Amino acid sequence: MTQVSTAFEVYKFMSEKNILVAFTGYFDHLVTTSLLKNIKNKLSVIQSATGIDKKVYNVLVESIENISKYASSRNPHQNIAMLLLCKSDAHFTVITGNHILNNDIPALKEKLDKVAGLSTTELKKLYREQMLSKRTHENSAGLGILDIAIKSGNQIKYDFKQLTDQTSFYLFQTEINIQK
Amino acid sequence: MDSLIIEATEDSPKIIFDTVSNRFIISGESRPENAGKFYTPVINWIVNYEDTLSAKKEAKEDSVLIFIFKLDYFNSTSAKYIMDILLIIKKFVDQGYNINIEWHFDKRDDDMLDAGNEFSDTVDLKFDFIEY
Repeated sequence: MTQVSTAFEVYKFMSEKNILVAFTGYFDHLVTTSLLKNIKNKLSVIQSATGIDKKVYNVLVESIENISKYASSRNPHQNIAMLLLCKSDAHFTVITGNHILNNDIPALKEKLDKVAGLSTTELKKLYREQMLSKRTHENSAGLGILDIAIKSGNQIKYDFKQLTDQTSFYLFQTEINIQK
Repeated sequence: MDSLIIEATEDSPKIIFDTVSNRFIISGESRPENAGKFYTPVINWIVNYEDTLSAKKEAKEDSVLIFIFKLDYFNSTSAKYIMDILLIIKKFVDQGYNINIEWHFDKRDDDMLDAGNEFSDTVDLKFDFIEY
């Protein structure tokens, strides 16, 4: 009975917290594609008249791609990650979580703080500079976090929860306001 | 030179570059697993096509090249490849080609309209914005 009870607790928790989608597991391009397809359908039913479904979809894709890039290039045995999509009356919230090497935290933190501290105008300026700069990687433009910050119009939030001496769980959150 | 046609997939756009009508259409969703692998041949095709056009003397004045972007979604990695394509188009304009650029967007999708404006400003090319 324990697992049944746990399942019910999970259901209650998800309902109370307005969690529309929760996924933990191995993320790769195939998983991402099927998840996105599912979420896209869900979003278009929920709120398509205002176009917010498109904005949320944008943020979701970039957030998930941030996970898979980071996980696969830096930490090949830790592709297990998490995606949450929540909806309240005021906004949608996209949260990703993935394992990260503690050694990688300072550089990432610096990058995130830089983006979090910029106004929309400054973000757009940086986006344009990055867009015109020489490509350093054929499958990453270095624009993901900037794009998320610009499209969401809200400050990005993040946290690192230490797991072991070597690794932490990296949480990344974006809110998208629902226009009334 | 043959037209270039690439069918859409769940994560990559449809490409119809038609050498008869000189309409070059990129449409659909763009977040390929490997954007370089997808876009490099597309970009090379455009550059090669210009080579064949420039070999014909009258081509520049007489023909109009129409580039049509009708994207439902593109990720930021694809954005940089779209920028590469626009920078090539810009070179063609500077060489004297007649070029029209159409940027189609879902009327509910302000971000897609903004993205078009941003591209247009950055490369300094006029876009025709068409909502659907």
